[in-house]
Amino acid sequence: MKKFNFHVKPIGLLDMLHFKQMVPRRRAILKSGSLDPITAVYGVNRLAQSLHPRQQKAVVSEIIPRKDANTYVLKADKLAYFRAGQYVSVKLRIGDAATARPYTLAASPALALEGEYRITVKKAQDGFVSDYILENWQLGTEVTLSGPEGPFSYEPLRDEKEVVGLAGGSGITPFMAMAAAILDGTEDFRLTLLYGSRTKADILYAEELERICAATDKVKVVHVLSEEEAEGFEHGFIGAELIKKYAPETYTLYICGPRAMHDFLAGELPGLGLDQKHIRREFVPAPSSPTYFQDYPGDPAKRFTLTLRMLGEEKRIPLRADEPILTAVERAGIAAPSRCRSGECGWCRSRLIGGEVFIPASLDGRRLADDDAGYIHPCSTWALSDLELEIFPE
Amino acid sequence: MDKQYDIIVIGAGNGGLSAAASACKRGFRTLLIEQHNLPGGFATSFRRGRFEFEPALHELCDVGEPDSREEVGALIDSYGAEVDWVRLPEAYRLIIFGEGEDKIDAVMPFGKEAFIDKMEEYVPGSRESMEKFFYLADCIMAANAAVAAAGGNADPKVMMKEHPDFLKCANYPTAVVLRKLKMPLKAQKILAAYWCYMGVNMEDLEFGFYASLVHKYIVNAAYIPRYRSHELSVAMDKTIREHGGTILYNTLATKILMEDGAPVGVETTHGSFYARHIIADISPNAVFGDMMDGGKGLPEDHIRAVNARKIGGRGYCCYVGLNKTAEELGVHEYSYFISELSDTVKEQELAGTFREHPMQATICLSNAIPDCSPPGTCIMSFTTFFMKDIWSDVTEKEYTAKKREVAVKMIRDFEKATGTSIMPYIEEIEIASPATLARYALVPQGAMYAYSCGEGDGLMARLQMLKEDQRVKNIRFASGYGPRLYGYSSTYMGGDMAVKLTMADMKEENYEKV
Repeated sequence: MKKFNFHVKPIGLLDMLHFKQMVPRRRAILKSGSLDPITAVYGVNRLAQSLHPRQQKAVVSEIIPRKDANTYVLKADKLAYFRAGQYVSVKLRIGDAATARPYTLAASPALALEGEYRITVKKAQDGFVSDYILENWQLGTEVTLSGPEGPFSYEPLRDEKEVVGLAGGSGITPFMAMAAAILDGTEDFRLTLLYGSRTKADILYAEELERICAATDKVKVVHVLSEEEAEGFEHGFIGAELIKKYAPETYTLYICGPRAMHDFLAGELPGLGLDQKHIRREFVPAPSSPTYFQDYPGDPAKRFTLTLRMLGEEKRIPLRADEPILTAVERAGIAAPSRCRSGECGWCRSRLIGGEVFIPASLDGRRLADDDAGYIHPCSTWALSDLELEIFPE
Repeated sequence: MDKQYDIIVIGAGNGGLSAAASACKRGFRTLLIEQHNLPGGFATSFRRGRFEFEPALHELCDVGEPDSREEVGALIDSYGAEVDWVRLPEAYRLIIFGEGEDKIDAVMPFGKEAFIDKMEEYVPGSRESMEKFFYLADCIMAANAAVAAAGGNADPKVMMKEHPDFLKCANYPTAVVLRKLKMPLKAQKILAAYWCYMGVNMEDLEFGFYASLVHKYIVNAAYIPRYRSHELSVAMDKTIREHGGTILYNTLATKILMEDGAPVGVETTHGSFYARHIIADISPNAVFGDMMDGGKGLPEDHIRAVNARKIGGRGYCCYVGLNKTAEELGVHEYSYFISELSDTVKEQELAGTFREHPMQATICLSNAIPDCSPPGTCIMSFTTFFMKDIWSDVTEKEYTAKKREVAVKMIRDFEKATGTSIMPYIEEIEIASPATLARYALVPQGAMYAYSCGEGDGLMARLQMLKEDQRVKNIRFASGYGPRLYGYSSTYMGGDMAVKLTMADMKEENYEKV
């Protein structure tokens, strides 16, 4: 392109003058601002803060005893709204250890707007944390919670109108929130719940479920007992046949339960002909021992040293081969960030500076670039040697 | 840990990462603090199910190939950051699905000649005006280079002599110049596609900026990192550490510590750190407001100048992982711009409302990186922006439904505009609203586009007012709120520029490194 005579105004000189006026024009604009206090916090920032608080405090206001479990009613002036199925991470200091556990919010989100959450804590085998809570939380105990987290929620753009929920044991909790949300109109879908318990007496929320089912035809519950035969109850484990028996023609499957239930279902689900889109699984906390995974290449009896860097300080702590790295950090009294504790959420993301680790493929929720760059999620990573790790405390 | 630094960089977004890398490389003791647990700000990634999504980047210009790097690619190389760049397949497909005359469907290629040829095919008779457009764009690029070579202080007489065409066209609104070039209206509309990357309509957006943006994209093509923006951000994190920099994540800067009208340090949620020079990769609203007691004690002119700035487009994006391939879906392009109307003034006005047809910049990542998700699947994202702070009025209870409502409109519009079916194949979906941006990046009003570069607050005016825009000594801005504007390439350049300006500040007071 050859040069051509460009001008906007009749002569080019006036265009150049226009250019020169740019600064005085902007100067005048900058003088026109208000003298209000300067802030970066507007309504939408406050909305973000109230939906996603960095931390929440609540007080135990009621304890509902259940078989080997308690439901804690937590109250505060204000608690973050959430989506039925989400969890909060409860922060705890037990003896010298600092730790946290995810607990599903087991009541309708509508109650959160009135300052109420409910969580159910069930006695677990070797349940260091559940034992502590069941023995120590009393009326008036102040608890520290994260904001609501997790993607185990109904999404109409993705899911079918009909949901089949498979719950095992305390895995009933997200479905309690969903059922309550359906009942009060917060959510709009139909839920058929297959709920596996050992015996009738082990069923959590039996009465509440009965009440909800009586009040709405959108929620249906089928109890499945593995160690008891009783009339009106299914017997055995929840498998393909049982799902087919109760499921509507098209549905999305939601699964929440112990690791053993997921393992059993892994053999059953192919028989249902569902694609991946129609199967939603709640995270399953990482098992404590890495020997659970067939490809574990280490020796679980080994003991190592973890050189931990945080905020520029260096600390050396003992590290067992047979527990997730996060557990070692927490036992040393260090409040490392964590939320889901199953490799997925990435809150515990830490920088591995040196050493060999084992990350089971099924728990590897890291970003692709983190794999190359040496970042790990210590909640679901086990040591194979002495390690050097940098964590970023909250 | 060490408390004393030469430079503290607040915020590890693109600008902050670039500033920290630039400062370390120059031998300054540098502390980079970031409130989130990841580097990158918007330049990150997130996982849902078997998909890893790109939250923000559509296309990064000025990268170039390894043996012929452009400005931004060369800068990132110079930091020692290793990124696997993927060149994008085409410039864009623009679909205007309005009524009657207001219908366009154009797929535009990279490369100046190919772009002009294609435009002539869609709009016969547009060639001469398009050639003139690129001629002026060349003039602007040459003038920008001359200004940069003169360290920002180009001699006006030299500029008038050497770069008269630049001075004659650059400060007019883009539409005014295109009309003067007698560009056919339809060609103007097709050429306007990138306007939504700035959120400023063509009757306002300055030609000097827009022409150089088009030039950069079309002449040199655009790129993305293979493993999402997170790859770029972790590569920067790595190089900063290798050059001796310190990075603290999960650390929120709460207060600028001042003495005699200049900063001496920053108070954070993990204690105070000290430096006489601050580079902020956050908004002036946060620095001079929330971190300086609302601006109490600052000169009135300063408070007015911050409050006069207009927050730009507030970001919204819906991400979907689909259980069909892009080919199966009939989604053939990487980058789509889709809107109801071709009139960018009206579009910008309607973007201040919860409108029926939000304009959208839509990406099908799989058409640039076929293995970005497992076989049989693909990844798409639907981005729009809001030109008014309307999400501030949304309640907690309404929030999820509101996010979803916008997503439904955008996906339906995409389906209608392209004759495809997307909705039944959604395996994973996540929606980021302005509140999501506010959550993760703490940006005012959920702004994706910092301070708007429209209404007289454009690039050239900001660059000419560098000196007077520095209202507190020794604080410089590397963010999109700073002199170089928003967008990945701008903030990368802006981070380096903030360090150069800091060095000038240091020189002025004979600063000696700690």
